[in-house]
Amino acid sequence: MIARRFIGASLIPMLALIVSAGIRVILPIALVLLFVGVPLAVLSWWRFRYSVADGKLELHSGVVSRSVRTIPLDRIRGIDVTEPFLHRLLGLVKVEVEAAAGGRSKAELSLAAVSREEAELLREAVLSGARAPAGEEAVEPRPVYQATPGLLVLGGLTSMRYLLAPAAVVGVVFNLADDLPGGIVERAEEAIADRFPTDTMGIVLVVLLAVGLVLVAAIAGSLLVDWRFTVRDEGERFAAARGLLTRRTVHLDRDRIRGADVRDSPLRRPLGLSSVNAIAAGLRGRTGGTTLAPVIRNDRVRELLRAVDPEAPELTAELVAHPPASRRRRLVRALALPALALVILLVFGILWAALAAAVVTGLAVLVGLDRHRQLGHRFDGRRLALRGGSLQRRWSELDPDAAVAFEVVSSPGQRRAGVCTLRLHLGQGAGSRRALDLGEEQATALLAQVRPQLFEPLLVPADAD
Amino acid sequence: MRTYWLVEGLLAAGVLAALVIAGTVIAALVDAGTVAVLVGVLGGLAVIGAAVIAVLVPRVDYRHYRYEVTELGLYVAKGWLWRRHQVVPHARVQTVETTVGPLMRAFGLVSVDITTASSAGGLTIPGLAPDVADRLVQELALRAGIEEGT
Repeated sequence: MIARRFIGASLIPMLALIVSAGIRVILPIALVLLFVGVPLAVLSWWRFRYSVADGKLELHSGVVSRSVRTIPLDRIRGIDVTEPFLHRLLGLVKVEVEAAAGGRSKAELSLAAVSREEAELLREAVLSGARAPAGEEAVEPRPVYQATPGLLVLGGLTSMRYLLAPAAVVGVVFNLADDLPGGIVERAEEAIADRFPTDTMGIVLVVLLAVGLVLVAAIAGSLLVDWRFTVRDEGERFAAARGLLTRRTVHLDRDRIRGADVRDSPLRRPLGLSSVNAIAAGLRGRTGGTTLAPVIRNDRVRELLRAVDPEAPELTAELVAHPPASRRRRLVRALALPALALVILLVFGILWAALAAAVVTGLAVLVGLDRHRQLGHRFDGRRLALRGGSLQRRWSELDPDAAVAFEVVSSPGQRRAGVCTLRLHLGQGAGSRRALDLGEEQATALLAQVRPQLFEPLLVPADAD
Repeated sequence: MRTYWLVEGLLAAGVLAALVIAGTVIAALVDAGTVAVLVGVLGGLAVIGAAVIAVLVPRVDYRHYRYEVTELGLYVAKGWLWRRHQVVPHARVQTVETTVGPLMRAFGLVSVDITTASSAGGLTIPGLAPDVADRLVQELALRAGIEEGT
């Protein structure tokens, strides 16, 4: 199990060497790897032990310098089980134990390949030691979200991430091509150029083909990553499993959840689709660990939110709109660049580009107006709801007590317009949420509503000058 | 604190001036006349600008820096053009510490740094007299429930 990790680490420099050097360099390195690296890896695998007892997890490791590491079970915040494709063929899984250690993004304990039974035993031992007082009834796991293939297809087609993925692949290929011996690339380019159709019909066909490929790739990406994405409510925590080839299960403690984000985009809005994320503390470095639904129908969002946070407000509840001054500010922000480009292009008389810039400017007006329209906030006595963004609209609901620090910021321009921005820093990797361009009276009212005593020093206009 | 910021700014301007002079001399030595003039003039302007900023900004910053500790939390207001009001409830304070740089020590000043669980939610209250800083640390630590000696 350790050997896998070892080879993985040395793979990249190896590849670089193979590309850049001849056999004279590679051979000695291969020999060193074979006669030093492999025995060392086997030895360190052999020396590695872990045990769960007396409320703590103990790790013994090291070949030359040995180390014993003890992690109290109540510090363990989760166990992730991943089943990479090769592992699944062999009936193995990968286990990562996360502990609440500050700033550490790596797992405390990572077992690269253990049997499924062992992983389950470890999970039971660790999690039962960590919490769950004796005698508590086990809650029957209840699915709160399940992705259907149809939903994932739509999700892939409307997801910027998956739609842009092919572009990234093309970029990588071009980068690699730079490193290949010159002749090959040129010959390939010539071959393509020879066969590239020059008539309109042919060009249209090629474009259609490319668009089709991108769409297929987006669907495939969505299906591969989020296949049978399932979130189960296990009482104290939620278990989210996903993936077609590599199946990954992450656990999210209920008491770490501070709220939720619901996002959508102009592509998804007409279809009534969005995605849901939990706002959770202490999950730094666990990418995707907070996703509750990669794509979900809007009429199901309420149910999911309620399952995660019983006090979650309605997604459809009317929000307090931000003042007209913010509309002007959003418009100016959205327009500044395209309008500047338009003017420059007109001055230089590059008409076709100016036309494109004019179209972009027109779209920017729409985006700017929509950004203003989307801005809003609402406090219902328990949860604060904030909304903002247009191309990436985000509606968040959170408990103000989750905030580690509050900030009211105003730039000179904002003060002239009589607005300010409220920021809530959530801490522990949960980022921050903001209410952009609140009217000053709105901000005062909101702060007085949210935590009247705490914000009292800010509300007294004593330090206004 | 104002004087400290002033000295800090002036020192930075001084370093910049030294760099400009060195650049000009080197350019002149390697016989690039126009480059030397260019570096000298532009650099000189930058130095003057830095010096002006060094004189003005500390006054403004100093005038607009406020902090307050209440029953519930710590409040910091700062900035003149870009104004910031920061609020940290006591329960959210993770560590309270004092830092003293060499230059600060020469002025007999101490900074108090407050960290929270959020990387963006930390606060610094710069340039306090040591006894004021000590009292502030004591009070914040007490209110945050941070035990001494841990």
